[in-house]
Amino acid sequence: MTLQIKDLHKCFGTQTAIEHIDLSVAGTEFVCLLGPSGCGKTTLLRIIAGLLAADSGSLTLDGKNLASQPASARGFGIVFQSYSLFPQMTVAQNVGYGLSIRRTPASAQHQRVAELLDMVKLNEFSACYPGQLSGGQQQRVAIARALAVNPALLLLDEPLSALDARVRAGLRRELRDVQRRLGIPTLMVTHDQEEAMTMADRIVCMNRGRIEQVGTPRELYLQPRTRFVADFMGQSNLLPAATVKALLPELIASIPADMDLAQAQLCVRPERLRLTTHQQGAGRITDITFLGSIQRLRLHWQGLELLAETSSAMCFTPGEAVNVSLAAQDCAWVSA
Amino acid sequence: MNTATSSLTSNADRWLLRACVWLPLAALLLFFALPMLGIGWRSLVQDSDGSLGAGNYAALLNSPGIWRAVGNSLMLGVSVTLLTLLMATVLAYGLERTAMLGKRFISIAMALPVLAPSLVLGLGLIFLLGRGGVLARLLDIRPEIYGFWGLLLANVLYALPEAVLIVRAALRHGDARQYEAAEVMGAGALRQFIDITLPGMTYGLLSAGFVVFTITITDFGNAVVIGGNFPVLATEIYNQVNGQMKFGLGSAVGILLLLPAALSVWIDRVAAHRQGATTLATPPALTPRTVCDKAFLITSLLICGTVYVVIGTVVVASFIELWPYKLAFTLKHYDITISGGYTPLWTSIIVSLLAAVLGTLLLCTLAFGTRRLPGPAAHLANLLSVLPVGVPGLVLGLAYIFTFNSATMPWGVLYGSMVLLALCNYYHYHTQGYVIMMTGMRNISTALEDATAVLGGGTNRVLRDVYLPALRITLLSVAIFLFMRSMVTLAAVIFLVTPSLSLASVTVMRLDEAGLTSEAAAFSTCIMVIVGTMALVLHWVTDRMLTTTSSK
Repeated sequence: MTLQIKDLHKCFGTQTAIEHIDLSVAGTEFVCLLGPSGCGKTTLLRIIAGLLAADSGSLTLDGKNLASQPASARGFGIVFQSYSLFPQMTVAQNVGYGLSIRRTPASAQHQRVAELLDMVKLNEFSACYPGQLSGGQQQRVAIARALAVNPALLLLDEPLSALDARVRAGLRRELRDVQRRLGIPTLMVTHDQEEAMTMADRIVCMNRGRIEQVGTPRELYLQPRTRFVADFMGQSNLLPAATVKALLPELIASIPADMDLAQAQLCVRPERLRLTTHQQGAGRITDITFLGSIQRLRLHWQGLELLAETSSAMCFTPGEAVNVSLAAQDCAWVSA
Repeated sequence: MNTATSSLTSNADRWLLRACVWLPLAALLLFFALPMLGIGWRSLVQDSDGSLGAGNYAALLNSPGIWRAVGNSLMLGVSVTLLTLLMATVLAYGLERTAMLGKRFISIAMALPVLAPSLVLGLGLIFLLGRGGVLARLLDIRPEIYGFWGLLLANVLYALPEAVLIVRAALRHGDARQYEAAEVMGAGALRQFIDITLPGMTYGLLSAGFVVFTITITDFGNAVVIGGNFPVLATEIYNQVNGQMKFGLGSAVGILLLLPAALSVWIDRVAAHRQGATTLATPPALTPRTVCDKAFLITSLLICGTVYVVIGTVVVASFIELWPYKLAFTLKHYDITISGGYTPLWTSIIVSLLAAVLGTLLLCTLAFGTRRLPGPAAHLANLLSVLPVGVPGLVLGLAYIFTFNSATMPWGVLYGSMVLLALCNYYHYHTQGYVIMMTGMRNISTALEDATAVLGGGTNRVLRDVYLPALRITLLSVAIFLFMRSMVTLAAVIFLVTPSLSLASVTVMRLDEAGLTSEAAAFSTCIMVIVGTMALVLHWVTDRMLTTTSSK
């Protein structure tokens, strides 16, 4: 099962929602569309679902053109942030809805519904109405409903955003487990980079209607290619190329050939800075924030303001002088 | 969010959706836009020689009778509006912002005038204060009830519920935090009222004022029953057309009547825009204030008592041998044989049922269609749907007669049929029905629509599984609203009834005109019983539906 997207465009009036989108989702992958609100990720998901028509570009599933097919003919499953269950139907009727549209025989329907309710651990609630369930339970019903028809592709539109933190963490794992077990290719929209990192095989980081970078969570975090991705995926120290040339000349060689020197910045994640206490150290710690397992340090170094993170087991005090070092494999060059 | 579903629907679905927009739009064009254009055209066809020109409008300027009617209508409209606003403010404030007792009693009083044709209030006033009125005899007074004062009272009582509804809605949007802040800064109760409450209800009052003014100057029933020698625009238009066959002049007066109504609709929309910001504010809590609460209760009881007494008198008088001289119980007034007996009542019921069913179907498909298939057609339908509320019943009725009383046009076949009466009543109240429908549509989740589509459901599935379940109460409310209005409205249908096809509200007027006041009272009571029953049914079913959904 391969979903192939080529050069997709969509405008709303004069506003460009997405442009030049190329992407493929294959096999049993879990792909996250990650980006700030308004970046076009939901528009892309809705186009894939068939709820919105693209202006140009192609969309194929196993080589078959999807563009002319309405949402109801694509055979996908979808889960929205707002549960969106039928309030007048029981949990079992909700889960079996897609099957009854497909005129599946009643006995097969029963069996499939029971199977899925088992999977999302809601067996004893099959006769309840959505209004009697908690938010997390309702969202599990919605997931079961989307999976009941054996969708060719599962689409998730911020499915966990309406839930409180504890329920969300539990459901993340559950959703990922179910998806792995069934092996259904999945595309999830989220604005939460932590959620994307914990769940996705691959992250598609989007900004202003374009794809900034595609890669595994590790790649996006450690090898961001643009300043936007570096910022969005977590905190970082960004050093202009000129500064690097002056202070860390040994690193300047690693700059990619195609990158404009004036635009290039070196991205160093805070936990990759190595700090050692040293009387004559060039760095001076200005502030320490204790965060439990780790501590976050602000320091002055060669006229720069740096952010570092270390295990909270290490002993530092504000005003202390430290040596700062970093290795080439711990940083990445990004373009602004 | 559904803006682009159009290009991604199957063929059958696309046609179904188009039908949902085009069918109601075509009906709106044929049964509202066309007649309104017709009356505009007709006002330009000069009565003198049948040629086109502004002759009718010139004739208007030169007829002193019409100027007198305009003056009277304006004077009456302004007086009724001021008095009604004052009373509505007291009642609405009492209901929304004080902890007074008897709120249910007051609410019921405010539901009563809606149950009957407006002229029932005039009838009641005549039984109380007219020649041989019971109060007039008891107190030995001869009040001038026929004319300005009678019309003033009857119209105030008739328009009051409408005004209370609007002012209450404005008061409901109060923000407790503002009052708490004022309290902390040391503002007293009066200051708080002037600085917070009053500004908050300005647009509500303005809007209510225009609605009351429009109701008053376009009301026909009371003008006929209790107007006496006090001619107003509504009776003038009727006389020009029915009495003197001056259709052109009648149309010109009709166009004149459109102005204040159109202005009021416009003000209402501006007000709605300005007050549109719905925050998550909670209105101030109701704390009992003994003196204040009592004052509001007494005033409210006086006002509502009047409503109960006036309407109650009509019911009682219908059972009295010879009001007010021979106070023996009798049912003889219910034995109505003239004016077609009870046939018009049955006709009214059938017409109202037709209006309810046709209207609800058309409104539902229109609301569904415009939401799912936005475009120029949907936009036009939305635009047209706002207009009927600005058209007084008399004008609409007149427009209908010009358009449908035609031997040459194909739609002429509808003339003299119940279907046309039903359609006239429905389009008279189209805007209100459309507003209720659109408000109901807000409860429908777009995500659920989308989920249904992705799960494989077509337009018919979306309609059946998403829209209809969410709209049950709304559909019922619209149907019953159309039924109730259709049972009691007089102005629009007065031109459309024929000797062989009359309606209940018209019969009440005819009975009263014939001097059979007690029979008119009896007939009115029958109407009130039927309409009141429907109102109770709606109340009961809605209650049940709400409790069953919330217990689910």
